[in-house]
Amino acid sequence: MKLARIGVFATVLVLVATATVAQTQERGITDTEIVIGSSQPLSGPAAFWGQGVGGGMAAYLQWINDQGGINGRKIRLVLRDDSYLPPRAVANVRELVERERIFALVSLIGSANTFAVRDYVIENQVLWITPTADANMWAGFRNKKYLFVTYPGYVDEGRILTSYAAKNEGAKSFAVFYQNDLYGQKGLLGIKRGIAETKTKLAVAVPYEVTDRDLSGHALKLRQSGADAVILYATPTQGALIVREMAKIGYSPKLFSSFTLADPIMFQLAGDAWNGIILTAYYPVPGSDPKVDAMLETLLKINPQLRASPFNALAGVSFIEPFIEGLRRAGRNVTRDGVVQAMESLRNWNGDVIRGVTFGADRRQGINKIYIIKSENRQYRKLTDWIEYPVGF
Amino acid sequence: MALLAQYVVGGLAVGSLYALVALGIVLLYRTSRILNFAHGDLATFGTFVAFALITAARWSFGVSVVVSLVVTAVVGAAFFFLIIRPAKEATLLGKIVITLGLALFLQGATTVLWGTDTKTMPFPLSDTRVYRLGEVVVSQISLGSFAVGLILMAGMYVLVQRTRIGLAMRAVSQHTVAAQVLGIPVRQIFALTWGLASALGAAAGILLAPVTLLDPYMMLDPFLKGFAAAVLGGIDSMPGAAAGGLLLGVVEALFGAYVSVKFKTTLAFVIIIAVLAVRPEGLLGREYKRRV
Repeated sequence: MKLARIGVFATVLVLVATATVAQTQERGITDTEIVIGSSQPLSGPAAFWGQGVGGGMAAYLQWINDQGGINGRKIRLVLRDDSYLPPRAVANVRELVERERIFALVSLIGSANTFAVRDYVIENQVLWITPTADANMWAGFRNKKYLFVTYPGYVDEGRILTSYAAKNEGAKSFAVFYQNDLYGQKGLLGIKRGIAETKTKLAVAVPYEVTDRDLSGHALKLRQSGADAVILYATPTQGALIVREMAKIGYSPKLFSSFTLADPIMFQLAGDAWNGIILTAYYPVPGSDPKVDAMLETLLKINPQLRASPFNALAGVSFIEPFIEGLRRAGRNVTRDGVVQAMESLRNWNGDVIRGVTFGADRRQGINKIYIIKSENRQYRKLTDWIEYPVGF
Repeated sequence: MALLAQYVVGGLAVGSLYALVALGIVLLYRTSRILNFAHGDLATFGTFVAFALITAARWSFGVSVVVSLVVTAVVGAAFFFLIIRPAKEATLLGKIVITLGLALFLQGATTVLWGTDTKTMPFPLSDTRVYRLGEVVVSQISLGSFAVGLILMAGMYVLVQRTRIGLAMRAVSQHTVAAQVLGIPVRQIFALTWGLASALGAAAGILLAPVTLLDPYMMLDPFLKGFAAAVLGGIDSMPGAAAGGLLLGVVEALFGAYVSVKFKTTLAFVIIIAVLAVRPEGLLGREYKRRV
């Protein structure tokens, strides 16, 4: 009996001791490796985004690793497919954190998906680099110590785009075609603010579901509104389909869109209907900046399939560049708090793709500027300089 | 009034494609009582085969379409011979679950072979060239696919109701053992039905592709709508499937126009529930009886 007690006591002692050891050793860091993870829509209706962003991140990290990694450690990216479905994103993130024991979570496409995993990630104090979702959701949100975001908010973007359309393109009444989830709804909210600022009119807001393929009725609704400008918050498929449907019924308003549809695949999908559309951009578009062009070249050398979605691949790079810089600055002894401190030291930092990143002790919104571009003859032309918006978090 | 007509025309155009999808589902269900959840993915696969033949192999559109229909039919028939038939001990529900497996397999294969980026399907008819009847606009492609859809529906009707093969199909659907005793080659009839249904799906996919663009998930929505159309028309009635598809297309368009565009997508599912609750046999189906 006594012996059994001693046995139990010894076991408890051993367990406590190992737990303490495990705590001091940073999760996801070994002598040779830093493990990071991401959940992306590699299949399903948003697969085009996920494959581009996931592929871009993977190619970029391979490039980093080929040069010897960061401070002697290679970076391993564990990618999981969530099909753009929030429940699967939740399962993936739990698996990445609890089984793969990742050091940091990077990206994660979809406002709804991000929303679904948000509490879990924050509560577990997982380092989270640029959730690819409406950044405005973080304003006023607490406990953001381990969160860093270099992605614009759709509310800010929608407001700036609308205001530009009214002031510089003479748009008087707006029709909005938007995805019926957080992504589209936040864009619509921004547009409404822009409309209020410029005293223009919202003629109609037409939502679609991400699986919808027959958009003839939607196009008719847009035309019926008589708006002289249409703004899109959509996926590439629905974005292309709606401009084709509009062209079919002879409705040709001024077209505007979120940067989410800037990928050149739109020229192919939407054809001539894409000519003249005005969009925003949050990093220099390819063809306008030698550093961005060189990075694209590097990515394509590593993975030629990324040629199908160059903008998304570069976006993937832009999401993790500041993190890689943070790791570099943190030195050989990598800890979560060390990386947080290192990233907080970024001031107006320029990567190969992302520009002007600033973090700080109270600042988690890394970028606060976008600019306006226009599609002309299958190329994008810069219309404005950087337009700043207030830092919200 | 012109606007109403425009909505109806749009609804009919898309409805004829729902009807084609529904026909494939119903054809198979009548004969084997299996609801094929891989129908949409078989269609997508067939469409991609046609796409590959046109763009990579540079075959003419007509030849590519015929070859892709045959390939899809062979895949469908092979699925019956290699998977469904050996699993004859499985319950009906078990077989339906097997088709879900096929759906996942085909989706994966399509993704691996052709990638996930959206593609445009080369098509001999233009979707921007339009005809005007008064104020109503119809695109060449809508008109063309509507016509082809009607021809295929009529062809199916003739095949099932007026030919010996159709007679055999109907016999098998009514009593498999009795049909076997009478010397009808039941296995071949099943395989033929699988092949025909799959080819019908591929035809619908090819007609849809230029309008919906081409990616591995393009049939997700049309398949569900086709399923709703089949339930609406009566899941064991071929004319029911055709009528159900057209009706669903029009009702959906009008609902989106005059009630709520936000809930347009949901309407099809509400219709499924309503039909099953009020008239489970559907509009043109026979009174629901349990097969013994």
